[in-house]
Amino acid sequence: MLDSLPYELPDLVTRAPLDTHRSTVLPEWVDWNGHMNVAFYVTAFDQASGAFMRNLGLGRRYVDGKLGMTFVLETHVTYDREMKGGAPMRFATQLLDRDAKKVHLFHEMFHAEQGHLAATNETIVMNIDYATRRSGPWPRPVAERLETLWAEHRLLPKPAKAGRVMSLSKKT
Amino acid sequence: MIELDPGAPLDRHRATVKPDWIDWNGHMNVGYYVVAFDQATDTLCQQFGCGFEYTRDKIGMTFVLEAHVTYDREVKEGDPLRITTQILDHDAKRIHYIHAMYHADEGYLAATNELMLMNIDYASRRSAPWPVFAMERIEKMAAAHTVLSAPKQAGRLIGLPRKK
Repeated sequence: MLDSLPYELPDLVTRAPLDTHRSTVLPEWVDWNGHMNVAFYVTAFDQASGAFMRNLGLGRRYVDGKLGMTFVLETHVTYDREMKGGAPMRFATQLLDRDAKKVHLFHEMFHAEQGHLAATNETIVMNIDYATRRSGPWPRPVAERLETLWAEHRLLPKPAKAGRVMSLSKKT
Repeated sequence: MIELDPGAPLDRHRATVKPDWIDWNGHMNVGYYVVAFDQATDTLCQQFGCGFEYTRDKIGMTFVLEAHVTYDREVKEGDPLRITTQILDHDAKRIHYIHAMYHADEGYLAATNELMLMNIDYASRRSAPWPVFAMERIEKMAAAHTVLSAPKQAGRLIGLPRKK
């Protein structure tokens, strides 16, 4: 485990859910159906995971400094509404669980002006040791920040769309 | 329409990891796994006449309702991909299926993607039953795929193991 990180960490945002990330649907994210393609919802959510990680102190400098990386192990998306090119997005991110190496996150994507829910993404992100490219425990300051966040996020109710298993028996 | 491929699973889709699919970790980015899988979905939909031409000719569209991805191994720029597809279930408007992505040369499983896909009426942009020509082929494929057992990556619930 790294005992420290060789750069200054950002001020920790402890608001739960984390609501700092904003983005816009890029023209190249739109497919032949005239809406944001399914894959780029995942890209947009991955950037929201990046915002959560930066809050922990794991931004670009973590990778560029060859200290570590974060890999997604698994992800689940619900596509709730179409999003068109240029649509502004706002994200809310809830920490559902954490352990020594992983976080379990739940993102909601909203149309930032119209307010409606566009999609959700439940995801597991794991810390990776840079040299071995294998899983490793969070750096100590990150683990401390995670516990601070957990004290706030654990008070939130479990989102209705978290913990889904896909099946046709749920009628649409 | 192309000739129906009765293989179980469907094993037609091939791709290569493009340079712009790579992120700062030096491997295919999580979003581009889904780009690759979405292209495999088009290969599936072409089997029953609901691929690109279905939308280009303003007949209908197919929308993904829900997706689950497991990222099993990294793949790098230029790696050849082989994606197989198994239909798990279907009804009048939807199909539930799972893709498996393999490194085409080395053979290992790189990722899986379980999906729920719905048929959409072009004009109303709302859900609608599969066209008759599509439903006939979906039923044939689904029947052929019943010989397959459900992959362990299907029907997964996300969570962290509680062992401590």
